[in-house]
Amino acid sequence: MQKPSINRSAPAEFWLGVSHVLPLQIGVVPFGLVFGVLGLGSGLSGLQTILLSSIIFGGASQVAFAQLLAAGTPLLVVGGSVGIVNLRHILYSASMAQHLVHLSLGWRIALAYLLTDEAYAVSIKRFDVGPNTQHQHYHLFGSGITLWIVWQLSTIAGVIAGATIPDFLSLSFAIPLTFIAIVAPSINLRADLVTCLVAAALSLICQPLPWKLWIIVATVGGITAGWITHCFSKKSMQPKTTHNGET
Amino acid sequence: MIWLVMIVTGIFTFGTRFVMLNGWASNALPNWLAEALKFVPISVLTAIVIPAVLIDPVNGQIAIIGNTRFVAAIVATAIALLTHNVIVTISSGLGVLWLLQLSI
Repeated sequence: MQKPSINRSAPAEFWLGVSHVLPLQIGVVPFGLVFGVLGLGSGLSGLQTILLSSIIFGGASQVAFAQLLAAGTPLLVVGGSVGIVNLRHILYSASMAQHLVHLSLGWRIALAYLLTDEAYAVSIKRFDVGPNTQHQHYHLFGSGITLWIVWQLSTIAGVIAGATIPDFLSLSFAIPLTFIAIVAPSINLRADLVTCLVAAALSLICQPLPWKLWIIVATVGGITAGWITHCFSKKSMQPKTTHNGET
Repeated sequence: MIWLVMIVTGIFTFGTRFVMLNGWASNALPNWLAEALKFVPISVLTAIVIPAVLIDPVNGQIAIIGNTRFVAAIVATAIALLTHNVIVTISSGLGVLWLLQLSI
């Protein structure tokens, strides 16, 4: 059982985490730059834009924050919508729990703060593949802190560049384009497509609602429609192999 | 006021990351909730994209004909499906938008 080469030291785990997440920075740097530029364009001050990157520390959430703010959305609806964007973190938190829940409160707070899409993706792979060792949480610390540093630096660079980029370049359109780049390839199941179509239709139909509430109605409607489709497709797939039940 | 919203949103974001690590809650989500949460990103991002592309910022109406953002978004969607690459998608969408704006 005791293979010294496999029971890595804390620094070894840390640097492994760093090296696993580094290739993903190719996508993180431009995203951070774009956020820095757009934060300014949406009416946030330079300081607010930069600090939002450490207060929220989540690309899609921050970009949604800027987009909604620029569209003149009431602040409460901005906060609520960004909260909904963030709900997916509960999934990450749940799947990390078995590997982290024994750690001290300080560690759990720090690692929860650093739990982003990219860090989750590389570190859950490390935890699932194993070996499950004493210092393995340093892997998530390494991947998370790398992302944090790169994200802060690219936001600051974006804010500096943003002050010099002219309006006619329509750079604010980079936000919907970023979201298209994330959403389009992620539509794999029928339920995904239903989610997308229902959210799209409701986001247009509900435009007349006060306080820009269409964003929340469309989101909740899309999730519900996707989930119902998912439940039905599960049901219709089960009886085929066994017997012709109720359906 | 904007600072307050930033901080409250930040605390909420941290909460969604910490909630299952708190040590006293059960660390398994109910199945239906885990399944529903998987549809969150597609739903919320679509709800932000569609009006940003289709609604005319001047009069608040749906615009399709002569809407350069709509054309750029269609091209970007095709590129996204083909390449699965964020940077290529953003640059091609912006490129199309600039070309159309120049030619109109």
